[in-house]
Amino acid sequence: MLPLSLLNAAQNKPMLVELKNGETFNGHLINCDNFMNITLREVYQTSAEGDRFWKLKECYIRGSTIKYLRVPDTLLDAVKEEQNRAREAGRSARGAHVSGAGARGRGMPTRGGRGMVRGAPARGGRGRGRGA
Amino acid sequence: MDKPKREAILDLAKYVNERIRVKFTGGREVTGVLKGYDQLLNLVLDEVEEQLQTEGELKTRSLGLVVLRGPTVTLLSPVDGWEEIANPFVAQE
Repeated sequence: MLPLSLLNAAQNKPMLVELKNGETFNGHLINCDNFMNITLREVYQTSAEGDRFWKLKECYIRGSTIKYLRVPDTLLDAVKEEQNRAREAGRSARGAHVSGAGARGRGMPTRGGRGMVRGAPARGGRGRGRGA
Repeated sequence: MDKPKREAILDLAKYVNERIRVKFTGGREVTGVLKGYDQLLNLVLDEVEEQLQTEGELKTRSLGLVVLRGPTVTLLSPVDGWEEIANPFVAQE
């Protein structure tokens, strides 16, 4: 259960965001990215003191200013289920190809694992690459 | 699993020539008409008014045409559809 996958799964769900300065924002998540930058719609903003309130149609919040986000409890079950499904799907898909010559990761102790030819100039050995 | 999204989550094109409210790290706050932007969230605003909160009273000062530095922007929202309201949560609880 990764924080950002939970957040990703919370799209179109209502949530409360508190910023480091104490301001809070209640709204529906439109979108988010891996910096935790978020966009909300139908937002109720509350001042840090909790004495003033504003209605915003839409807003963008910088991820680095967020203290925490409160998301619906039901989200946890939904994400767990989704993860299980993805794992099952991945397992059966891999299982079908495992005997094939192109199977990676199992059998065939060719070092590198990325289709690198031994002795070839080092390239793409680290990171996730860009998928061309 | 999910590849990093390259496209911005906020499409600023829809706010061009519209008045937006921007808050910065440190608490400063301005409104202005969006004239330009880039992917780092650097902004060009025209007719900028800075909202200053000094000793509880609200003051504004005019800054004119301004380039705002993206990394200091913490909050951005359109002024259209923005209003101060009474506590919306008392009714629900």
